[in-house]
Amino acid sequence: MPVLAKDSSDNKKLNKRRGRAGGHFFSSDSAEGLPAGRDRNYAKSREKGLQAYGDYSLVLIVLFLLAFGLVLLYSTSSYIGIVEYGDSAYYLKRQLFFTCLGLGLMAGIAFFPYRYWKYLSIPAFLGAIGLIVMIIPYGREVNGAKRWLDIGPMSLQPSEAAKVAVIIFTALLIEIIGRRRLQKAWGFLLPMVPAGVISVMLWRITNNMSSALVILAIAFGMLFVACPDYKRFVALAILGVAGSAALITYIVRSADQADLGFRGGRVLVWLDPQAYAGDTGYQTLQALYAIGSGGIFGKGLGQSMQKAVVPEAQNDMIFSIICEELGLFGAIAIMVLFVILIWRFILVAGNAKDLYGALIVTGVITHIAVQAILNIAVVTNTVPNTGVTLPFISYGGSSLFFLLAEIGMVMCVGRTSSL
Amino acid sequence: MKNDKGEGRLQTGSAARHRIRRGPRRFTISMQKRLMVLFILILAAFVFLGFRLFMIQRDNGRSYTMQVLSQQAYDNKTLPYKRGRITDAKGTVLADSQLVYNVIIDAKQMLEKPEYLEPSLDAAERLGLDKEEIRTYVTDHPGSQYYIARKNLPYQEKRNFDMEVAEGIEKEEAAQREQEAAVKKAEEEGAEIPKTDPVELVYSNIKGIWFEDNYIRTYPCNTLAADVIGFTAGNSDGAYGVEEYYDDVLRGVEGRTYGYLDESLNMEQTTIQPSDGNNLVLTIDANIQSICEKYLKEFNEEYKDNKHKGNGTNNAACIIMDIDSGGILAMASEPGFDLNDPFNIDAVAGMPKLDEEDTPTSSYLTLAEARNLSDADKTRYLRTLWNNFCVGNHFEPGSTAKPFTTAAGLESGTLKREDTFLCTGQLLVGDTWIKCAHLEGDGILDVAGAIERSCNVALMQEAAKIGNETFCKFQNIYNFGLRTNVDLAGEARTDGYLYTADAMSEVDLASNSFGQNFEVTMIQMITGFNSLINGGNYYQPHVVDRITSAGGSTVQSNAPRVLKKTVSEETSSMIRQYCIQAVEGDHGTGKLARPAGYRIGGKTGTAETLPRGNGQYVVSFLGFAPAEDPQICIYVVLDRINKKKQDEAGRACQVTRKILTEVLPYMNIYMTEPVSDEEKLELEELGLYDTNERVPEDEE
Repeated sequence: MPVLAKDSSDNKKLNKRRGRAGGHFFSSDSAEGLPAGRDRNYAKSREKGLQAYGDYSLVLIVLFLLAFGLVLLYSTSSYIGIVEYGDSAYYLKRQLFFTCLGLGLMAGIAFFPYRYWKYLSIPAFLGAIGLIVMIIPYGREVNGAKRWLDIGPMSLQPSEAAKVAVIIFTALLIEIIGRRRLQKAWGFLLPMVPAGVISVMLWRITNNMSSALVILAIAFGMLFVACPDYKRFVALAILGVAGSAALITYIVRSADQADLGFRGGRVLVWLDPQAYAGDTGYQTLQALYAIGSGGIFGKGLGQSMQKAVVPEAQNDMIFSIICEELGLFGAIAIMVLFVILIWRFILVAGNAKDLYGALIVTGVITHIAVQAILNIAVVTNTVPNTGVTLPFISYGGSSLFFLLAEIGMVMCVGRTSSL
Repeated sequence: MKNDKGEGRLQTGSAARHRIRRGPRRFTISMQKRLMVLFILILAAFVFLGFRLFMIQRDNGRSYTMQVLSQQAYDNKTLPYKRGRITDAKGTVLADSQLVYNVIIDAKQMLEKPEYLEPSLDAAERLGLDKEEIRTYVTDHPGSQYYIARKNLPYQEKRNFDMEVAEGIEKEEAAQREQEAAVKKAEEEGAEIPKTDPVELVYSNIKGIWFEDNYIRTYPCNTLAADVIGFTAGNSDGAYGVEEYYDDVLRGVEGRTYGYLDESLNMEQTTIQPSDGNNLVLTIDANIQSICEKYLKEFNEEYKDNKHKGNGTNNAACIIMDIDSGGILAMASEPGFDLNDPFNIDAVAGMPKLDEEDTPTSSYLTLAEARNLSDADKTRYLRTLWNNFCVGNHFEPGSTAKPFTTAAGLESGTLKREDTFLCTGQLLVGDTWIKCAHLEGDGILDVAGAIERSCNVALMQEAAKIGNETFCKFQNIYNFGLRTNVDLAGEARTDGYLYTADAMSEVDLASNSFGQNFEVTMIQMITGFNSLINGGNYYQPHVVDRITSAGGSTVQSNAPRVLKKTVSEETSSMIRQYCIQAVEGDHGTGKLARPAGYRIGGKTGTAETLPRGNGQYVVSFLGFAPAEDPQICIYVVLDRINKKKQDEAGRACQVTRKILTEVLPYMNIYMTEPVSDEEKLELEELGLYDTNERVPEDEE
């Protein structure tokens, strides 16, 4: 593996330089203070291809989140499991299966040199598009939305696969375009193209606006980190806020007309859930009731009364049940866990040995952060209702499986970084 | 990638030299800074959301907690009880509640998979539902889980459906297993796997149809004893008859299944089984009842549309009472109605039209008129129809009251059996001439003769001897003017139709003596007469013999209850004798009532109705049988026969005779009298007399 060896020696030199300059943003003390000998051994062991070192704290947080998520999923889904399948552990078992499968994949990816993904990114992107297109003839409809593909006994949500594909493809595009050309208009727009294509397809074919938004956000987050210009982002943010405000005003103004579609309806529900308590506002309101009734320390694990009432309690709305059972304390603990996880990712990205790796980690960060924030925001009625799952905790095989694949990618970047 | 190097140089300055050829791009410090900005943004979002959670808790915590508790809807469902059954004395079922099913459609389940819809809709069609209607409902209400699509599906239909589905599923599963086995076999043998289409699932895909228990009331004998039984549309609220009177007995207690969340928030389900209502065993004997109804109907048929269009009589009624218990063996009144279809307006056709006060007029309702009645009028006529004439109507009894007057005189001692009276055809009472039935005069009559010939003049003289006070006292003893409290709904009050001793004039007393000018109900008359015959025991009249639990054990027994002594045995025996004479005597008015082979006693009655002189009469026969050892009392009343000349008590006697001819043999009462050849023929026709049977006896 000559390339790898070259890389690591290159890295070492860089590290020394950085150490001298003292300007590394994310240099950790351990890495800084290491004697040269240790550093050399470290590089040597890495040359063997397999090494003992991994980002243990990252692994720990991921495993903790997974275990925590399984416990909470069991608590929230046992009721619906009994009702629908006569087995309180129905959802737990399925989730556990995908967790194990995902962990295997995660480990596999963590030891697969990520530079090769560059070659995989275009096939992955085309594959994702193919999967989405396959929904048209072969898709399975659940709750009125055609978003699943059945593969044997399992079912796959192509939108989740698309997220991974977009991350690796966008990272490649940004790297190719390069920093300077990113500042040009075309260079700025080009990395958004794959995400844009997938988003439009998801929106038109599966009517899945939330996944489309998450994918756009992922690409946008990566672009934000890569593009050395705040002004246009500030401008875009202002434009976005103004546009949303205008749209909301328009929807409220024309509230009495029935042709707003369900998204317009969701905005109205968001503004006044009580007014729609009987139908469209039911889920939001019940989730709020669950949160409000939790108190500081909650009713205790498994003590939720709302899990029988809140629709999709084991899924999009799981956070409301967590609030009810574990209270404000438990909810904030979960958020802190996410923040720690993201911080670990930031460290990995900051210490990535190249832009490509850093961008991939940035994509994963954006993905997890946007989903977690959106999910909690929906549950607390901070934004209009849109179906986004809470990473690691909500029920969903595809989501968990590809999420763990992404974690594997982060670990791989981290493993070969200078951290 | 040519520009790479140049750019790299730009980025990292001197470090570019260390980058060997086409090294990968760096993640620059400025990028790292922006990554930091991203992190801060994310952190800010989380902090904001945490704050938002806190605000929800602080501002709405209490109200939301209460909201959550108030939402703990306990899923519950009532389970219907089975209303008690009504049987006659011999166990014939007169009213029963049958298990039927409501068909419930669960649209959500039906739509769960696309392949469920069609088989389920087909299945719904097999249950007698309209397929397209259900399809429309299901597509319009995809979330609906409880829609009663059909009520009262008969048990048998549900059973057939269940069996068909179960068999179908079994077959489909067997076919699937077979196919799997074939594939497995082929795999093992390494042969080519046979290509077969997957088993078409039809029965296995029937979803979203389920059944809910319900009960409906059925009356297997339709019109039999309709007035006595009464009816109910559902499970409660009996109307008329014992269904109304014993409603609380027949009703059970509804059961309930309810779910609740237990301590560990599991859905617990508890079922409290319904307790079924108690059963009624009537004193009514369905056979005796049907004999009565048969002849009343026959009579009504005979005189139907005779003088005018309409029923044969306004009312034709009969009560047969067990003499030693007051139990009613039969209570029939025509026109009747079908208990399974009580609201059928056709049944009121032929009834007299009602005036504003619901009293019958002398014009009659045709079928077309009946069908065109307004809803309010329909209700009025139906109520008249449903009303039990035997307890709910009152009328002037006429001469059937004469035994009562005589008994009052004998019992009080104001009258002696050897007293005689002269009848010249009419009598001057006060300043009014009151006529006798026989205008030519009956001559000198003793007490017995007065009853035999039904002489009004003699009775008026007897009453004069008895006097106001005693007469009224005895009316009270006979329970006239008071309800008998028979266990049937709708017994009429008659207290306003009697004179008090002070208000009673000479004429009133005279007319009362032969049963005019005061009104009674049939049940009052027969219960009173029963006591005159059985030695003075006034029994509580009743139609329910006992109440049994759903399991069959007796809960309450209506044992015969003597309420009072009306007359002494001595008086009673004289009244019996006089009544026998009224049937058997040469001048007896009740001759026509004697059935072949038996001796009976009784008294006829022909009562003018109000207004006087309208030519409308209520004719009746009040009697007992057999003469020597009375077992039953019988009272037949024909209210306004559809005939030009209505004042013929003989019609009532004829009906009585026909009824007794069948009832007495049925009750295993042996014939005591020789039967004439003519009577033999008549009995043979009824299958009651077998000449052949007697042949061996003759040979001996």
